[in-house]
Amino acid sequence: MIRFEQVAKRYPNGHVGLHELSFRARRGEFLFVTGHSGAGKSTLLRLLLAMERPTSGKLLLAGQDLGQINNAQIPFLRRQIGVVFQNHQLLFDRTVFNNIALPLQILGLSKAEIAKRVDSALERVALVDKAQLFPGDLSTGQQQRVGIARAIVHQPALLLADEPTGNLDPRLAAEIMGVFEDINRLGTTVLIASHDLALIARMRHRMLTLQRGRLIGDGEAGQ
Amino acid sequence: MSTTRSPKVSERVAPKGADPKPGKNKRGASDDDGPDFRTLMHAWLESHRASLLDSLRRLGKQPIGSLFTCLVMAVALSMPMGLSLLLKNVERLGGSWQRAAQISLYLKLDAGTREGEALRDEIKGMPGVSEAEYISREQALEEFQQQSGLGEALRELPDNPLPGVVVVTPSEVDKPALEALRQRLAELPRVEVAQLDLVWVERLAAILKLGDRFVFGMAVLLISALLLVIGNTIRLHIENRRTEIEVIKLVGGTDSYVRRPFLYMGALYGLGAGVLAWGILAFSMSWLNDAVVGLSGLYGSDFALAGVPGSDGVSLLIGAVLLGYIGAWIAVARHLSELAPR
Repeated sequence: MIRFEQVAKRYPNGHVGLHELSFRARRGEFLFVTGHSGAGKSTLLRLLLAMERPTSGKLLLAGQDLGQINNAQIPFLRRQIGVVFQNHQLLFDRTVFNNIALPLQILGLSKAEIAKRVDSALERVALVDKAQLFPGDLSTGQQQRVGIARAIVHQPALLLADEPTGNLDPRLAAEIMGVFEDINRLGTTVLIASHDLALIARMRHRMLTLQRGRLIGDGEAGQ
Repeated sequence: MSTTRSPKVSERVAPKGADPKPGKNKRGASDDDGPDFRTLMHAWLESHRASLLDSLRRLGKQPIGSLFTCLVMAVALSMPMGLSLLLKNVERLGGSWQRAAQISLYLKLDAGTREGEALRDEIKGMPGVSEAEYISREQALEEFQQQSGLGEALRELPDNPLPGVVVVTPSEVDKPALEALRQRLAELPRVEVAQLDLVWVERLAAILKLGDRFVFGMAVLLISALLLVIGNTIRLHIENRRTEIEVIKLVGGTDSYVRRPFLYMGALYGLGAGVLAWGILAFSMSWLNDAVVGLSGLYGSDFALAGVPGSDGVSLLIGAVLLGYIGAWIAVARHLSELAPR
């Protein structure tokens, strides 16, 4: 599903985001990427989302070379990916329903189909009764769940999450991770960037450890 | 997985209740084949409908701001359009302007009334001629006697010294065309001299040219101002929706999807401005007309300003919508590259 082959990312100011990073992730795998601030976690996610391109090396996502992808193809690539942000990136002037419906509206689905899929995504994150509220009316944990619902509503093959539990208390963090595991059980590849080692250790999934842009560990969390 | 195809259903996570069977998926007959034409067409139309409604809703949310933007654009539109309408009216006033370009054909002294009238009829049928009037030798003498105050002296002359004249009114006031017409008329039999008062024609042409250039220059300036106004307004809308645009791009929105609501917004601003400009012009022409009718009455004329012709009004609306659309396009094109997700 994901293949990094000697992928490096260097910025014009001389900063190196990633040093010749190589790893593979299978379809349907659940993996964490961890490391301190500046380790390269966000760079890795940005490369997968084609927000940036590798300076060298080969990055393949489901066979597609993201170093060679043209700009017109990027939106279609992103339609195969769901993204969850630490700060949720919700639109506060739209209802919960309309936030979640956004990827489906972009796909141009019918209103009935959108309603059906949004309802099922809301059910998955246990927010069915909040559909007509605005994000500002919700708690931080609920907002994060709205973000997750938006990320899965279009049934992506890959789900990326950048510090999804960064602002949450341990109970809520565990709850959110449970949602990710549910999604993964249905076949979606899940990649989560997080520095919450305690939480990761409890989950017992594969963990990639980055340090200053280099891969220094690749194994099951908690081992 | 191709970047342009939906992933297979088995590759996806299915939200609860979603139908995992490809054949029943409303996005297309089969996910493996990608969406069909009907689905794509529906998606495209739905996206346009949603963009239009969204733009209308956003304009409606700020009615005063939207109205003022439309008013500024309407004023910018109505000034060159109003001047153009005034020029058209001046040209229409134009019997008198065209008379300044009349060609006088002095006939040979031995040409009789019948020959003069036959010549007049022949000239009336010529291309480039609007009107032709024959003045016989007798009429010319009588007129001259009355107007010159030399009646007694002229009566002492043994013969009428004045020739018959055919006064030709051309259909258009254009110097080269007039000169060509004069030459053609001069070659007619029984014509002694063909005289064209080119000084007046040149003055008239110069005045009209000046007016046209003034209107054109003003139109260019004000249209530029209008594009800047719409561009700046759309830029502010883009700034206000920066987060939304970044999110849309991250979840797979194309540039055209992002651009669409702003283009509709520009076109709607243009439409509003066009309607207001039409109203401003209609009111202004009607208001000016009272004074013009009073003035022309003093000169014994029944001249009145024509209002805004329907065709001009429709052109104004179409032009305003296009300008709004183009202004929005320029603004979005300039700022879209800055809106890459961060």
